[in-house]
Amino acid sequence: MTAARATLASWWDGDLLYRFRRSPVAIVSLLVAVLLFAVALGADAIAPYDAFDPAAANVVDARLPPGSAGMYGETYLLGTDPQGRDMLSAMIYGLRTSLMVGLASVVLAALVGVLLGLVAGYFGGVLDAVIMRIADVQLSFPAILIALLIDGVTRTALPREVHDALAVPILVFAIAASFWVQYARTVRGLVLVERNREYVLAARVIGVSTPRILFTHILPNVLGPVLVIATINLALAILTEATLSFLGVGLPSTQPSLGSLVRIGNEFVFSGDWWISAAPGALLVLLSLSVNIFGDFLRDALNPKLAS
Amino acid sequence: MNGTDIILSVDQLTVRFDASPPLLKRLVTGAKRRTVHAVEAVDFQVERGSTFALVGESGCGKSTIARTIAGIQAPTKGAVSFMGVNVAGFRTRHAALPYRRNLQMIFQDPYASLNPRWRIGRIIAEPILTHRLMTRGAALDARIAELLATVGLSPKDAQKYPHQFSGGQRQRISIARALAANPAFVVCDEPTSALDVSVQAQILNLMKQLQRELGLTFLLISHNLAVVAHMADRLGVMYLGRLVEQGDAEQILARPLHPYTRALLDTVPDPHAPHRPRARLSGEVPSPLAPPSGCAFHPRCPLADARCAAERPEPIRVDAVSVACHAVAEGRIDAAQPDRPKDQQSLEQSGDAA
Repeated sequence: MTAARATLASWWDGDLLYRFRRSPVAIVSLLVAVLLFAVALGADAIAPYDAFDPAAANVVDARLPPGSAGMYGETYLLGTDPQGRDMLSAMIYGLRTSLMVGLASVVLAALVGVLLGLVAGYFGGVLDAVIMRIADVQLSFPAILIALLIDGVTRTALPREVHDALAVPILVFAIAASFWVQYARTVRGLVLVERNREYVLAARVIGVSTPRILFTHILPNVLGPVLVIATINLALAILTEATLSFLGVGLPSTQPSLGSLVRIGNEFVFSGDWWISAAPGALLVLLSLSVNIFGDFLRDALNPKLAS
Repeated sequence: MNGTDIILSVDQLTVRFDASPPLLKRLVTGAKRRTVHAVEAVDFQVERGSTFALVGESGCGKSTIARTIAGIQAPTKGAVSFMGVNVAGFRTRHAALPYRRNLQMIFQDPYASLNPRWRIGRIIAEPILTHRLMTRGAALDARIAELLATVGLSPKDAQKYPHQFSGGQRQRISIARALAANPAFVVCDEPTSALDVSVQAQILNLMKQLQRELGLTFLLISHNLAVVAHMADRLGVMYLGRLVEQGDAEQILARPLHPYTRALLDTVPDPHAPHRPRARLSGEVPSPLAPPSGCAFHPRCPLADARCAAERPEPIRVDAVSVACHAVAEGRIDAAQPDRPKDQQSLEQSGDAA
């Protein structure tokens, strides 16, 4: 018990938390990010209307500006979209979809990347050469291009209903496929250093099995930078999803994400219906900015070379 | 050494590293393959319960020998046999476990040899759990406390992390980990060279005490002759991957035969004779990429002649010592005196250099 308290105390007094407490930007960005996460998680309870229920949408109420009252006396705080959906509700559900896709693709990319990086760095030789050449090839394609390619192929290969049903997993896979390289390269570089450190040699002398050395000794010592990349990549993945949805190859419009909402509104911007694009766009900026700024803070705080 | 109990036998051990440029560069520029001759044809044996020390300059291959014996470096040629078993011949990790349990290692850098994210208790328990000597529980906790007490730390330290300890304390933790599985043999790779002098003595005395109490055998790697004089029963002097002289430590330290051993011993400062004549070594250690012909020491040796440059000397026995030197074999060495510095100034310089 006292040991646990001592650990907690040392964590509280730790360098990272000290920096966090002294950085208002980091505190605000984390607060905003946590708030958005909470809203996305509680979408069903928080959203005034169900964005997925066709019966809740009323075509008569289509494209109402923010603050308007609907036909049956509903109030649309942020107006409605071309189908008469409440924008605020659509955005809250869209936020959930965006975060879900972002988190899932980051987790998948990190899992694959870290595993391949560990293996490449620890074993070296042919295995390393093969994995890293694949990574190099992968790196020479822009992320959007890879995602477009995967989406395009699956779109022609699968029937429409199947593709729509599988839209989220396909999107997650497409984004993860372009992001894993960063984890693999970073982890490989760190493992190359760690594997010759004496604590790893000591474990080998003791007779510890190779998987145990990789996962209990080396992995915990290379996770710091992975955490930083993951945080920054979360914002990037959300933006990639938004870009793809905006281009029309991401999620179907029946399943709103922030990107597809911006795309729907894009058609009406010149008619003066600015809110349909602007509102989800602003939320997207807020989300990626808060996550990104917190990621930058983590990167700086965990990098001893930048410590002042 | 017939009739004595040999625990470790190193037989014609050779370790070479490939330092070739990448294939593409070799094809384009015609660069040749390059090989680092880290260890060449080294022979020695260690008696149970004794301390065998290997000394030599940085890069002479002593750490490579330590790693080969500890099974984390594969030999290119030759064999290391520990308790009669070839340590490079295990097919599976399980087959190697009895050897691993009996042979442990203490590393040079106490700041790198403990996983910074593990508590001390977990670090010390790792050998015990890996070899399934005990299961987690009160008995294991008691054993960890006992080990910590053995190396002069408090049982409460099991809850702490490595960064909460000083260098000397960490080296004690390393020793506790090495002893956790009750090994017979401990390879100590420069165990004190990263420590303050006062702490060095404590660690060395602890090692001696543990050797007496537990009947341990040590292979001690060091460049510090004072450490070696304090610890070693037998001594091997290495130069450029080869053992040039080995045998009874006391005899070698009192009456060195090989010119390199003499030069090495002359570098030890002696407060009672600060201006004593010293054999001064000129030049640098040659690159192990291209070791000299004949005797590897001949370009720097004050006694070298044509034969030394052409023919590699075989070890010969002189009393309790085996030495590989043509000058000793031909009897030239006792007649030869080390070069004396010509004036006071150069004497001072040589003193500073030491």
